[in-house]
Amino acid sequence: MAATAQSMRGFEHLEGLPEAVFKRLYQQPATALAIFRRMLPNLGKTFVMAMLFNPDPIPISSLEAWVHPNKNSLKEEAFAKLRQLHLVTERQGTFALDPTFKVELKKALTGGGPPGCFGLPCDTDDKKKVDVSFLDKYATEQWESILHFMVGNEVPSSRRPSEGVVRLLLHGKLMEKARSSQETIITQLGFSFLLQEVNSQVWTLLLLYLDMAEQLRMDPVDILHFLFLLGSLELGQDYDMKSLTPTQKGMLEDLRDYGIVYQRKSSSRRFYPTRLATALTSEVRALSSPATTMRNAISQSDENGFLIVETNYRMYAYTNSPLQIAVLNLFARLISRFPNLVTARITRESIRLAINKGITAEQIIDYMTANAHPQLRKNTPILPPTVVDQIRLWQIEGERMKATHGYLFKEFTSNSEFNAVCKYANDIGVLVWADKPKMMLFVSKHEQIADYIRKRVQSNK
Amino acid sequence: MVRAVKGSLVTWVEGGLTDRSDPSIKAIILDLDSRSHDFVVEDLDDSHLIIKDTKVPELKRLLEERLNEHTKVDTLEEEEEEEDD
Repeated sequence: MAATAQSMRGFEHLEGLPEAVFKRLYQQPATALAIFRRMLPNLGKTFVMAMLFNPDPIPISSLEAWVHPNKNSLKEEAFAKLRQLHLVTERQGTFALDPTFKVELKKALTGGGPPGCFGLPCDTDDKKKVDVSFLDKYATEQWESILHFMVGNEVPSSRRPSEGVVRLLLHGKLMEKARSSQETIITQLGFSFLLQEVNSQVWTLLLLYLDMAEQLRMDPVDILHFLFLLGSLELGQDYDMKSLTPTQKGMLEDLRDYGIVYQRKSSSRRFYPTRLATALTSEVRALSSPATTMRNAISQSDENGFLIVETNYRMYAYTNSPLQIAVLNLFARLISRFPNLVTARITRESIRLAINKGITAEQIIDYMTANAHPQLRKNTPILPPTVVDQIRLWQIEGERMKATHGYLFKEFTSNSEFNAVCKYANDIGVLVWADKPKMMLFVSKHEQIADYIRKRVQSNK
Repeated sequence: MVRAVKGSLVTWVEGGLTDRSDPSIKAIILDLDSRSHDFVVEDLDDSHLIIKDTKVPELKRLLEERLNEHTKVDTLEEEEEEEDD
């Protein structure tokens, strides 16, 4: 699923962090748990659980014994992840969990840890308590106002995103300043951002925030702790700011702008996480479900599923939302607009334009499926196959050239070395292309391969 | 010693929409490259090249332009539908 891939990319960004940062990240039970839940493949989780309550290091061979010999690639993937996240230390063929991580994950699973390590609920009642539906509405309004702003819709000044949000959008190149005027306009990157599902959008913005915060000399570990903490909070509960660090208190203000947390006023000492926050660290496989809940929760019943697509490429959208109409306009030619209905047509031209803006056919198809009218949902498949196939074909037509970012490895010293690396790259699923006679291979990610080559060289000495 | 080079592996689909007598896509890319556009990092074989990461979008655009000179898009169908809108 395209959307899952998007948010996974967000996490790959985290994988590139230096070891020292990881060591400090593991000092909080909420973060240890979030990383366990969200960043490890299932087999990796199994390995961690095997090591968690064992005081001694475990021989790698006994971990390997759990894996069917045919599933080598899964095993390598799990091991690579564990090493990459610096979760294990390897000594003489044994694995031991990082001691800090071990302690904190135990705390997270069996209870313990200082009060407030999973958020400190307020001990007094809020006189103006807000309920879940209010929070959902608030989150939607804040988030949509950012999206509206991006597509250049008129928004009432009270709902215009704050300076901080605009700076973030500019920083992430989702928008840019027009050369002629001082207005900010959306970029290609921004367009494909619009078509992502909400959860990935939130992560995209938060990672941009992290990136920008490092330039402002804010401590990235502090920020990540807070983001992972937010993911473990309970929706509808009010929390006390007391347990937060100064950096995190400063962050609250920004997160309020995005609709991730709610505070009645900035001087208030209590804050409520919204659904945008609590869905942050949901498990990868369950990713679509919080997003769907979010979507169901945030869209009023009359907006929920508004698109009808016919086999003749006509589209009827029962909406009067400027945002939805603007999104439709990205990939369809609008024909006429009525008070509650927009008619449009999907043409080769409109799809080609969308693809030139960096939107993929899959994103368009996902968007149409996700917003299909209940009437259309009765069909299986939901969208007319002719239309879906044609959109894909239109994309391929313009993509006779296929480019994969990555690294070329060459000048191997021996055939056996080349073959070993080639096999390893294939096992962990990063091999894109290889040429045996020339002893060259191309991989989509290089860190693990470089590690592997280094280890081979060392063991041969 | 093994060396790693950063770049984008580029492949393509020959023929299909273009005529057999058209120059091959690799030939077009190499031609564009020779006009000081500086795309190619490594020439691997007949169907694979390594291109500078930053240059991929530009190359894509130029290639598309060049290929569309040869391909005439049939717009008849869309014009027809225009009338009943």
